[in-house]
Amino acid sequence: MRLLLFLFLLAEVASARTFYLIVSGLGGEPDYDLRFSGLAKEADKSLRAAGGDDSITTLTSPASTKAAVQGALAEMARSATPRDSLVVLLIGHGTFDGVDYKFNLPGPDLSATELAGDLTKFPASRQLVVDTTSASGAALKPLEHPGRIVVTATRDGAETNATVFARFWVEALHDNSADTDKNEVVTALEAFNFAQRKTAKFYEEQKRIATEHPVLSDAAKAGQFTVIRFGSEAAAASDPAKKQLMVRRDDLEAKIDALKQQKNTMAPEIYKAQLTALLVQLAETQQEIDK
Amino acid sequence: MIRLLVFLIAGLALAAEDPGLDRAEGLWRAHDYESAKNVFETLVKAHPENAVYKVRFGRLFLERFNPADAASLFSEALAIDPRNAPALLGLALVADENFSGSASDLAHKAMALDPKLLEGRELLAKLALEDNDYKETRAEAELALELDPKSITAEAVEASADLVEHKPADEWLNRIATGHPNDGHGYELIGYFLQLNRRYDDGIEWFRKAVAVQPDLWSAHSQLGLNLMRLGREPEARKELELSYNNGYRNDETVNTLRLMDSYKNFETFRTSATILKLDKKEAAVLRLYMEPEMRKAIATYQRKYEITLPGPVQLEVYPNHDDFAVRTMGMPGIGILGVTFQNVVAMDSPSGRPPGDFHWAATMWHELSHVYVLTLTNQRVPRWFTEGVAVHEETQASADWGDRLTPEIVSAIKDKKLLPIAELDRGFIHPKFPEQVIVSYWQAGRVCDFISQQWGEKKLLDMIHAFAHTDSTVDVVKTQLGITPEQFDEKFLAAVNAENKSLVAHFDQWKKDIREVNAAAATGNWEKVVTEAPGVRDEFPNYVGDGSIYTSVAAYWRRKPDDAKETAALLEYSHAGGRNPDSLKRLGTLLATQGKVKESAEVLERLIFIAPLDEDLHRALGEDLLTLNDAPGAAREYRALIAGKSPDTAAAHFGLARALRLEHKDGEAKDELLETLEAAPNFKPAQKMLLEMTSKNSSD
Repeated sequence: MRLLLFLFLLAEVASARTFYLIVSGLGGEPDYDLRFSGLAKEADKSLRAAGGDDSITTLTSPASTKAAVQGALAEMARSATPRDSLVVLLIGHGTFDGVDYKFNLPGPDLSATELAGDLTKFPASRQLVVDTTSASGAALKPLEHPGRIVVTATRDGAETNATVFARFWVEALHDNSADTDKNEVVTALEAFNFAQRKTAKFYEEQKRIATEHPVLSDAAKAGQFTVIRFGSEAAAASDPAKKQLMVRRDDLEAKIDALKQQKNTMAPEIYKAQLTALLVQLAETQQEIDK
Repeated sequence: MIRLLVFLIAGLALAAEDPGLDRAEGLWRAHDYESAKNVFETLVKAHPENAVYKVRFGRLFLERFNPADAASLFSEALAIDPRNAPALLGLALVADENFSGSASDLAHKAMALDPKLLEGRELLAKLALEDNDYKETRAEAELALELDPKSITAEAVEASADLVEHKPADEWLNRIATGHPNDGHGYELIGYFLQLNRRYDDGIEWFRKAVAVQPDLWSAHSQLGLNLMRLGREPEARKELELSYNNGYRNDETVNTLRLMDSYKNFETFRTSATILKLDKKEAAVLRLYMEPEMRKAIATYQRKYEITLPGPVQLEVYPNHDDFAVRTMGMPGIGILGVTFQNVVAMDSPSGRPPGDFHWAATMWHELSHVYVLTLTNQRVPRWFTEGVAVHEETQASADWGDRLTPEIVSAIKDKKLLPIAELDRGFIHPKFPEQVIVSYWQAGRVCDFISQQWGEKKLLDMIHAFAHTDSTVDVVKTQLGITPEQFDEKFLAAVNAENKSLVAHFDQWKKDIREVNAAAATGNWEKVVTEAPGVRDEFPNYVGDGSIYTSVAAYWRRKPDDAKETAALLEYSHAGGRNPDSLKRLGTLLATQGKVKESAEVLERLIFIAPLDEDLHRALGEDLLTLNDAPGAAREYRALIAGKSPDTAAAHFGLARALRLEHKDGEAKDELLETLEAAPNFKPAQKMLLEMTSKNSSD
């Protein structure tokens, strides 16, 4: 997985950007308004803190009207290319009337079909939509598209209670423990696993029946989709002088993966010795890259 | 249910000459309950205005483990005939099933309507004995015997009172043996009272006698099984419970206890010479890290303090499912309890069985283990209020932060002068007169023991324990040990409580109004009002840290602002006032650590371990703090907890442990953990750095 990610990074060096659109919708009550806008601002802060030349647009209620959302997408589309990525994060309430899913916004709501139309016109070939609202499971089907990963807080449109998934998705953007392979990149899969687990734990601890069951449309693609990047990984990827070292690192990683596959067939001490040797080489190589 | 059966025979005798009713009663006597129920249903439908049918049908329901439907029928009968004494008695019996304080009032009302109602008199005798009011018990039992000189219930109550008071009961036992040679109900009732007084071994012997003289007394088999189970004698317990179940005696206690025993395959048992710890497999690895040492610490402390070594190990059972724990306390008085002690067996909730922040497992453990010592020292001869009071007092001795806190319910009870005289404090535990009285009584009993410790010295409590070993009369012990009458004690104690809480009580009504307004302001986003009024509301009730506390509202405001310093200050006040919400305390830990106050952060998080030991984020944060403070063993424990809890962030957990072990100069183990780390996350840079350091020439293995 890491190898594929790296090859992808090499291919996309320098010019590939990620466009983020964060929208918090209508709360209906002051408490929800505050909560939704607070999460949107927190996500915005985490993405900006990560640095890089990514584009981040955040809309909160009452400015987050349907026209504003569609306008922001159109504006970003003007500078985006097919090599870029797009991440849309929707926070708030959603409804499903049996036919249409709608994201509740000040003024007219935005339907999943309308959003899908806007996204399909968007140039970036790699897209991630994270719809964290109630009833968001109903948006899965309309948003389906090749190259687009969809995450929803609920499994269908019948789960209509206010959700907590957004809180944990946003937490994944600044909690190092979400990066389980410690490669300084949180992928959509890692963020989803983190938020899904925390959501389940929330209901378990509160002794409440879970009223939301998050869904990820494509785990394989999500494992290769970078949501946020920490540390120096991005800088190294764009340095041609370090390409050789990175190829060597990749080779060592592949060898380690292969060795791990054989673990159960090897004597423990031999496995340990071989693993240590490879890990030392990998660490030395990484040290060279980071110089 | 035992309590009902002993009244059944007399009740059946009341049946009037009525062919329909006779048929129903006959089927009931023949144990054909389903047919009896059908006949009663037909009778009640055909004669909706007949109160007698409803009362008798209600009694059938009550005997067959359905008190809710029984109560409905008794109420319907009273609607038809408000002066129906058997219907009032029925309601009294239902109330007694739940140890409700209304049982006595209802029984007295029934007796006022029908002074010759034998069952009513017998019930009043029983209720008095449940409250350990021996004088009243004997007076009521004598009155019952005047109504029926061969009342086995009255004889058994008299015998029970003698046995509970450690007096010879030969006269009554002879009367039972000669007058009712094949009737086990009397012995069953004696067993009931002994186990109610925590004399489980003695209770078991009387249940054995009950089934010996009447082998088909399935309720006694069930009680025998339940009490064997309480003492951890599972194989024999199962045999008795299954016997009872297979013969149609399927009350909630029997059915649920059998189910609970089936679930024990999901538990793991850890034994040492002094402890047996039974934990659910899914959380055993984490909880054991904390509970086993805490249990050892408590036992060592009590061993020194009470100057006694227990004859065997203490068994602690920890239930993640509160319903399973509740099965262990079925048929016992005391609502909402968190732990229970049966001689040397302690059962309690797991922290995972309660909403986060609701439950302090260590305080509960120390509380229950205190019972083990006090009950052992007194040979179970101690009033409930005193053993509970000592246990609450011990919590605060273990840590000033523990123990029962003043809640609005308790302040309300102080304000409304609802605290009980010391001589009657047991009543607050057994037959509460208002819903919060059990909680209030725990607090009061704890404060009584604190007060004794303050005024007469801590050793006086041990003297009282020894005194109670010879008499369980509160009046006698107060007089001989404290040198004053119970009335004088009450006067002094209440004066102290009122003085301590003068300001709180004076502002209590204002606080209730103010806190409602502030929470309403917070809900509508009027944060200025929250912050402006916070100091006043806080000072009206500084100890209030429950839902919607002023501290968390203010902290939430400063977090939104954002102002880390002011948020930290609000959360520190919350923590110092005894706040236990895990999210708030974790947030405080993070803020303090970020500000470089790592020691303070660790202190907050260490306190949280006793509340939320299964919280992964807590272990991660505390592990990091302890590493910074060079507390390698503490940090290692936290990372081991993460690994044991199967944290998805495996690499970070193993790396934390590697760092802690390296700090302890355990390089070999540290390197193993490092390999685990990098096997999971080969690119983890800090781990790579440590690997290079440890594999360099200068590094020792």
